[in-house]
Order: sequence, then structure tokens, then C-alpha cells
Amino acid sequence: MIKRVGPPLAVLVVGLALVELYVRARGTPIYLVPRPSQVLDTLIAERGYLASALWTTAKAGLIGFALSALLGMAIAVGLASSVWVRRAFAPYTIFFQTVPIIAIAPMLSIWLSPGLKAVAACAFIVSVFPVIANTLAGLLATDAALLDLFRLYGASRTATMFRLRLPAALPSVFTGLQVAAGLAVIGTVVAEFLVGELGEEQGLGVVIVSASHNGHSDRVFAAVLLASALGLAMLGAVGFARRAVLANWHAPARE
Amino acid sequence: MRWIGSAALVLLVACGGKKDDGPAPGAPPDAKKLTLTLDWVPEPEFGGFYQARESGAFGKQGLDVTIKARGQGDTWKLVAQGQTDFATTAADQVLIARDRGADVVAVFAVYQTSPQAIMVHAARGFTKIDDVFTHTGVLEAEDVTWLRFLRKKFPDAQVKVTANAPGIATFLANGELSKQCFITSEPIQARARDSDPATFLIAEAGYNPYTTVVIARGEMVRNDPATIKKLVAAMREGWRAYLDDPGPMNAKMGELNREMDAKTFAESARLQHPLIETEETKKTSLGAMTKERWQTLGQQLVDLAVIKQPPTMDCFATF
Amino acid sequence: MTGCSVKLEGVRHVFPNGVIALAAMDLEVAAGEFLAILGPSGCGKSTLLRIVAGLERPSAGRVVVGENRTKHGVAYVFQDAHLLPWRTVLNNAALPLELQGVERARRNEVAAEVLAKVGLGDALDRYPAQLSGGMRMRVSLARAMVTEPALLLLDEPFAALDEITRQRLDEQLRELWRARGMTVIFVTHSTGEAVFLAERAVVMSPRPGRIVADHRISLPAARTGELRATAEFAQQTRSIYEALDRGAA
Repeated sequence: MIKRVGPPLAVLVVGLALVELYVRARGTPIYLVPRPSQVLDTLIAERGYLASALWTTAKAGLIGFALSALLGMAIAVGLASSVWVRRAFAPYTIFFQTVPIIAIAPMLSIWLSPGLKAVAACAFIVSVFPVIANTLAGLLATDAALLDLFRLYGASRTATMFRLRLPAALPSVFTGLQVAAGLAVIGTVVAEFLVGELGEEQGLGVVIVSASHNGHSDRVFAAVLLASALGLAMLGAVGFARRAVLANWHAPARE
Repeated sequence: MRWIGSAALVLLVACGGKKDDGPAPGAPPDAKKLTLTLDWVPEPEFGGFYQARESGAFGKQGLDVTIKARGQGDTWKLVAQGQTDFATTAADQVLIARDRGADVVAVFAVYQTSPQAIMVHAARGFTKIDDVFTHTGVLEAEDVTWLRFLRKKFPDAQVKVTANAPGIATFLANGELSKQCFITSEPIQARARDSDPATFLIAEAGYNPYTTVVIARGEMVRNDPATIKKLVAAMREGWRAYLDDPGPMNAKMGELNREMDAKTFAESARLQHPLIETEETKKTSLGAMTKERWQTLGQQLVDLAVIKQPPTMDCFATF
Repeated sequence: MTGCSVKLEGVRHVFPNGVIALAAMDLEVAAGEFLAILGPSGCGKSTLLRIVAGLERPSAGRVVVGENRTKHGVAYVFQDAHLLPWRTVLNNAALPLELQGVERARRNEVAAEVLAKVGLGDALDRYPAQLSGGMRMRVSLARAMVTEPALLLLDEPFAALDEITRQRLDEQLRELWRARGMTVIFVTHSTGEAVFLAERAVVMSPRPGRIVADHRISLPAARTGELRATAEFAQQTRSIYEALDRGAA
């Protein structure tokens, strides 16, 4: 544990100390770069306010991520089921990767009402593509010999999909989920800028923008820090699930 | 200020910004080179500045002013950091900037009455801004000072406040949705799409910061007041000419801002006139500011805990 | 349980890229026979096996497996074990029964029984990643046997294993055949392995593959490791080797 957490923690502490020294020595105005110590003070002093924003963002991010995981896999299974389906629909999945969220957020806000639902939908749209792409790649890379084996025993397409292709694709699925976890948090924060709720139910994205408007760079950085922590936590959770699920598979999962 | 749309309009402005560069007509070869950064895209809101450049008012004062449309983020930071000589922003932002330690000073205020407003669907029958808050529905707004002022004023609000979605699509689609606006902008667009918006100025609720305020570095105001004086004189001349006949400059700005058609330009210019030229400015001059107004605003911001203490009155300078 | 006969008549196979894998191939395998197919790499042995299994349709010609494949059951063992890494040894071996809809208790019982026969009785709950190459191959063999197939097809199954492990597996396979009596077609490029295992060996020519030698192996039915050291074994091996050599020429 110490071996794994120690080095990055040391880099963090030294890095922050250097920023602190630099900012103090240069006399950089607070509104440009806050001192790390101020950010820390803000994190402590405004913990209630920030924690509630973190929770709002986490909720939307988790919903978006869960949708990405479920629908992304479902879409990939659909695409993998036939060459024709894939040829017809695969190009359109690129939409998810390229659509600018600023263009689609107002529409989502209209369809789903602004706030949590629209924000979670944005998080979903931003994060679903890597799940689709990686799951599909995994589904199309099934061991040909095993496909033969299933055919030999007269397995149905459904049985082949759910007892062979999908489980065999799990390592790829997890790769997609890891990318999606980070994107879901980014998508949530950006969506909150655009269609998030203000007030009691306001997320980190709203806090960042409001604080930025009002010249509170320390609060901006505190909120950014929490958003990063949320991303790391989600990434960590996916990594944990990966290790748990693939524990019996092969060496890489054990590290 | 209207940062959301800014992101959407980045491309547009990237083109517009380039066209803005180049020497102003009528500027003498030894003219003092200065830059003015606008906090939005070319619109009637800035008509007088373009007028002053195109008509040679700046040049006549020995100034070569380059206008850059829309600065990234808070324009006061650009001024404080010396990346531009002047910029436009709102009066409350000036006081926030000073509170955070940025030495910026207001020298010219275009809008005497802030065009900041809330638009609602007329069909709802609201008669005053209070109705927006005392009814259910959605209010799209940014969490800036005026919203804090109103939320404090209406503590038992029923309305659900959400971030200000880009564009007016959400307003058009939802009859229960109210949206922040400049009365010179979004309501005109909404009307063009067969919507019937009613508008309530925030100013009428008692919160009225000067808007489209030109700021300069305090050090420049103190050490080189002559240049500021020339700048303000040229701006005043530009605004006078623009208010009298906005047509030519609207056409010019229309080339830089393809998102806004000629009709909207004309309507916007018409609507903003009474906000810029008031009984007050007729007695004094265009762009004028008073100590009382700055003090009132300062106290309001202190009450809202946006700034720590009342501002000193060197936050603005008149010429 | 007994094996079924296999009959190939004029089987020809052309790959989509135009390469002729098999040229008019005739072959008869008696019910319960253990046939080894030898040949140089790329002579179409694997293609032949896939055609017999019904995994590939021949471009021309006819394949008859007993009365029909479904009735008798055909099993296939690949060059590598090809196990499902997320399943235990038991569940891997029971897979064919699961796909055929056999209920859990019954299929586990059968699979455990076959696994015990190949010496994996105490590894039922382990995962493929925890097994050696030889053990994995034995699971693969057990998986092929659980359906009690009348025809077992093996495509160089032990080629990747070390010599000792390979010989032990050969012995186990021979045991299984003696006990169960299914028809076995075993593709290999090792003459020693063919002689040790089979009753009959056919040698194929390089592509396009056809049969150039058909050799009956006259060795005792009960074969153990010591057999490999005997003069008869060496004699049989040499004659097949010569046939292989002639075919390649």
C-alpha cells in the first residue's frame, strides 16, 4: 500500500510546496493563481458547501457512467450480432464521440428538464463511446477455435454471445469503462456549466463557474480538486471491479 | 459576463477578431497605440466604440485604438495583467476585481441602466419581477451578483434555478421557463421566432450596476490622465454619433457578427438608446458616473458578502 | 458406446483466395478405428479435419459420418487447449453438456468422472490460469469426451507440450480410446506419436493434399511407454517416415 501510494503522494506534496513558494515569492495576484494553502483553507472552511456540491456531481456522474456501462455494452452487443447491423449503425456511434456537448445540452434540457437528468444524460453521451468501441472490439476478437467449439455443440447465437463472446470481451469492456469513468466526471462538470441546477442542488461545475465569476480562484481550485478526486475515485472503483472480476483470468489482473 | 454563449461563439469571433485589427482610419502616424477588449461580440452594445474608430474620433485625439472583440474569461484580469489597455465589463465586476486586489478603474459607463433582465412568457401574466420567483417553473440564470441580490430579496422562492443554457431554444420550448437576458438581445431573437416574451429589468428591482463600463489600469489613470481624457472624449463623440444614426455602424458590425441580422441590429440599437442616454446624461455627458451610484452598488455587494468592505471612491474616474 | 464410420468421396477444397487445399480425396475410416493423419505443414490436414467435423463445407465431394453427425456426436480437440479463462476446470469440461441443455447436477457428475480419468480429479475448482500446459490440454481432452462422442477429431493437440508430458497424454488418450471405443482421427506430424497411438496411419502429400500412403500399424493393442524402446516400434516408425519422405518428394 505504502509502496503504491507513497511516490505519487510525495510528488503531490513537493509539487504543491513548490507552487506555494513560487506564488509567494513572485507575489502573483490571488485572482490568477491561489496559494495551495489557501485552497486547503477553503476546502476546510467550506467543507459543507463543497461536500454537497461534490455529492450532486457524483450522483449525476455515477448515473451517467452507469448508463454508459449498461447501454454501451448493450449497443456493442447489438452491433456485434450481425455484420449488416454493424455496417448500418456503427458509423453513427461516432456521433457520441464527436458531438459538442454545448450544442446538445440545451436540447437535453428541453427533453429531460434541466438539472440532474439533463446533466446525467450529458455525462452519458460524453462517456459512452469508449464503452461501445472497446466492448465491440472485444466481441469481435473472440477466439475462433472457441467459436467453432460452440458451433460444434449447436449453441444458439444467444448462448454464444452471453456464454462466450461477452465474457471473453470483459478485459476490453473494463478498458472502456476505465476511460468512461474519467469522461463521465468531465461530462458532468461541463454539463453543469450549461444546464446544471443552481442553489441547494448545485454541483461542482456550477461552483466552479460561480466562483470564477466572483473572483474566488481559491474556491475554483478547491472545486476542481474535488472533481479530480471524484474522477480518481471512480477510476479506482472500476479498477477494483476489474481486478475482482478478472482475478481468476490471467496474470495482468493480479499485477 | 455572458460566458456561456462566448464559448459557442468562439469560431465566429475568431474570424471577427482578425478583421478588427489594423490601424484605425484617420490616425496620425505617431498616434498612441492602445487596445480595447470588448467582453462580447460586435453588437450595438459597443456601437459607439466602433463609431469612434471608424469616424476617426480616436485618431483626432491622437490615439490609434485597436478593438478586440471578446476577451477570454474575465476581461478585468486582462487589464490588470497588462494584456490590454482597456476593456469593457460591468460595474459589479469592477468592485469584485478591486476587492481581489486588481488595480482597475472605471472611466466610462455606456449603460446608465443595466440591460440585464429576465424574460418570461407573456402568457403567464406576470406583472412584476417578484412573480418570477414566487411561482414554480424554471429560471435559467448564471450565479452572478444580480441573481444573489434577487434570491436574497425573495428568500421563499418557488422557482427552480438552473444554469443558463446556451441560446434561446430552452426558452422557446418550455412555457414555464424564464431566462436571464439583455433586453437588447435575447427577447428580440425570441420575438423573431414567434414567441411573446415579457421582460423585467433587474434594475427595477433595485440592483443597477453600470454596464459596459470601460476600465483602465489604475496606474495609467493616475500617471497619464491626459490619454484617458482623450479616450473618453473620443468615446463620447463616437457614442453621440452612433446614437444619432446607428445604421452605418450596425452595417459595419454586421460584417463582423454574422449571427445577428440587420433587423435585430436596428431593433437592439433602438431598445438600448434610453438605457444609454438618460435625463442624467443629458445634464452631464454620455458615459458619466456618479459617486452615489458606486456607493450604492458597493454597499449592496458588501451586504451580499461578495466583497469584504465598501469600495473607496477611486474605483472610478470622470473626465 | 461405439464409434461410427467416416467416409470421404472425392473431397476437394479450394480456399476463397484460390489456393487448392485438398485435391480429390478418398478416405474410409472404419467404426472404432484409430487413424493418424501425417503430412508436412500446410498439406491440408487441419482443413480435412474441419471438413469431417462439419465446420467447413467441401468445395466438392461428399463426407459421410455414420448415419449423421448429430446422432453420433463429434468432438474436436484443437492445437491449444482453448479453455474459457473465467470458468473452473469442472465448468470448462462440462461446457458441451451445458450447451446441449443437460441439467447441472448431471453434467457436473459426468465431467467430474471424465476429469478423474485424465488425472484431474483434485483440480476441479481450479482456473485455467492456475494449470500447467499439460493439465490444460487434459481439461481440453476431458471436455471433448464428456458428450461420449462416436467420433473424436484431434488436430495436433499435444504439439506444444514437452516430450514427457506429451507421451503421458498419448498414453491417456490411448487408454480412453480402448475404454470407449470411439472412432479417432488424429492429425500429427510426429511419426513416433502416430505409431504409438494409431492402428492405421495415412500420409498426405504437400498441397494440394491427397493421400500418398496408407499404412496399417501392427503393434499390440495394449501399449505402454516401454513400447517406444522396442525394435518393432522403431521398425514401424521407419516405414512411416519413409512414406512421409516419399510423399514429400
